[in-house]
Amino acid sequence: MQVVVCVKQIPDPSGTYTLDPETHFLVRPDEQVLDDTDRYGVEMGLQIAQAHGGSVTLVSMGPKGSMQGIRQALAMGADRAVVVDDADLKGSDALTTAQVLAAAIQRTGFDLVITGTESTDGYSGVVPQMLAELLDVPALTYATEVEARDGKVTINRQTSAGYDVVEASLPAVVSVTAGVVEPRYPTFKGIMDAKKKEVEELTASDLGVDTSLRQRVTAVEPAPEREAGVKIEDDGEAHLKVVELLQQKKVI
Amino acid sequence: MSGVFTEEQEELRRYARQWLDENAPLEAVRKIAETPEGFDAAQWSELGSLGWLGIAVGEAYGGSGFGFMELAVLAEEMGRTLYPSPFLSTVVLGTWLVERLGTDDQKAEILPAVVRGDHRLAVAAGRAAVHDLVARRQGTDWVVSGRARFVLDGHTAHTLIVEAAADDGTRLFLVDGDAGGLERNPLSVMDLTRPQAEVTATDVVASPLGDGRAGDAVDHALDRAVAALAMEQVGGAQACLDMSVEYAKVRHQFGRPIGSFQAIKHMCADMLVGVESARSAAYHLASVIDHDPEEAAIAAPVAKSFCSEAYEKAAGDTIQIHGGIGFTWEHDAHLYLKRAKSSALLFGDPRYHRAVLASRLGIE
Repeated sequence: MQVVVCVKQIPDPSGTYTLDPETHFLVRPDEQVLDDTDRYGVEMGLQIAQAHGGSVTLVSMGPKGSMQGIRQALAMGADRAVVVDDADLKGSDALTTAQVLAAAIQRTGFDLVITGTESTDGYSGVVPQMLAELLDVPALTYATEVEARDGKVTINRQTSAGYDVVEASLPAVVSVTAGVVEPRYPTFKGIMDAKKKEVEELTASDLGVDTSLRQRVTAVEPAPEREAGVKIEDDGEAHLKVVELLQQKKVI
Repeated sequence: MSGVFTEEQEELRRYARQWLDENAPLEAVRKIAETPEGFDAAQWSELGSLGWLGIAVGEAYGGSGFGFMELAVLAEEMGRTLYPSPFLSTVVLGTWLVERLGTDDQKAEILPAVVRGDHRLAVAAGRAAVHDLVARRQGTDWVVSGRARFVLDGHTAHTLIVEAAADDGTRLFLVDGDAGGLERNPLSVMDLTRPQAEVTATDVVASPLGDGRAGDAVDHALDRAVAALAMEQVGGAQACLDMSVEYAKVRHQFGRPIGSFQAIKHMCADMLVGVESARSAAYHLASVIDHDPEEAAIAAPVAKSFCSEAYEKAAGDTIQIHGGIGFTWEHDAHLYLKRAKSSALLFGDPRYHRAVLASRLGIE
């Protein structure tokens, strides 16, 4: 089974993010890390490929920088990587991103594409679905469990009430939630092996994708200050109000 | 980037740090340290599958065949979070002695199991313990008797490597942890993150490690242990510095951060100088230990005496900078102070190591 895992390198979330004051684009340092949520996708891909035989190819778009994040995923055990790095793609919207990824995935060939639900620096959360549409395959999203075998993929799809079991025939795109599997840590042997793995670097024109920007960020505002909480004085009925609040928030 | 470690070793550091931060934060360290074993057996197996335990063991025995620098990276990171485990006793000291001196059968029996995380070693030889063990022949067997104290992880190891005086000189023996006549008791230690035991042997059957003759191997094993410990000390001292500087920035007094006061500034600056100098000494030792035993023999006592004092000072000043909160059980500062103290005394205190240095330089 040929598994493709989409991964993204992002600025270290423990640091400070800066935006370009002109374009409002995220300023990306040379040293970027693997988006933490992608560790789950990589692990899922590795487990499926190991269980049924096959390979795991990483597909990534963005400035390659020092490739630290890509190397981490390779050190975990992925077989090869395709990185699309093109200055023209700077600030591209979700659809362009999906087009680039889809073109790169088509080129590689795939039985199963695994993605996270959304990136930790962009949070658009629509790329997996767009990707499936562009690849003309089913999209199975928000998976908390994945099983792929005999030309079929079955997932538990997380819902607000629990989960739905969703099944589709392969090829397909599956987006996984954080926690779907316990991602492995790279071993030193894995780190050394990663050095020898093939990393193909492509540009948008290699893939024939139109890079013209269709989206512009017009303004950015700081997140609102956190507001003071609601105080409920206990007059004997406080628990009812607490329950009501929790229900409003759909916690219970 | 230090310039001492390769890019791959720095990557190893990053993932080691990630594992430790996610699996053994200081709250977890406290819990582990309070268990009778003093380490987490499930995590130890996990470290085996992560390749940490066999990183410097030859591939013939299931290891990865890398060297001391990889061990050093792990030691520094474990020192940073005070991770309690038999790494120093089993991986740094015991494994190396077995690999260096053991017979093929001994190596094949012990090393792969150590690498998997199924077998742990403790060493009572040289300055790794205080001991007065004697060995004598009983028929074709050897038996050892006597007592060894301050044996790192001596109560939990599967096999002990002990040094005992025989008629014809000192020999090294392997002793089964469950052997008849062997009594093992954990000692009450100040630093709970580094358990030690008292081992008493009464005519315990022992098999010589290799031919039993250690030559200079025990001295060199101790230099390696000192090197790993110095790396831990650097990691711990750096953690103290980070903690102190962070606190000095957020804690306000008289309407301003305490870091703006000269008394605090100077303490932090002095701590930085100490930590960086200790780092230089420890990194130098780590980088020569595999290939330049002559230089290592000098660099080891330098690193041990300097890093010990730098860590103790950093841990002590961390408490001062934190003021009242730093003096509480709930705060982590005391964990570092205790580790700094126990590390300073382990394998010989700074004064002892300065004497070693003088003697090795021939200026005594």
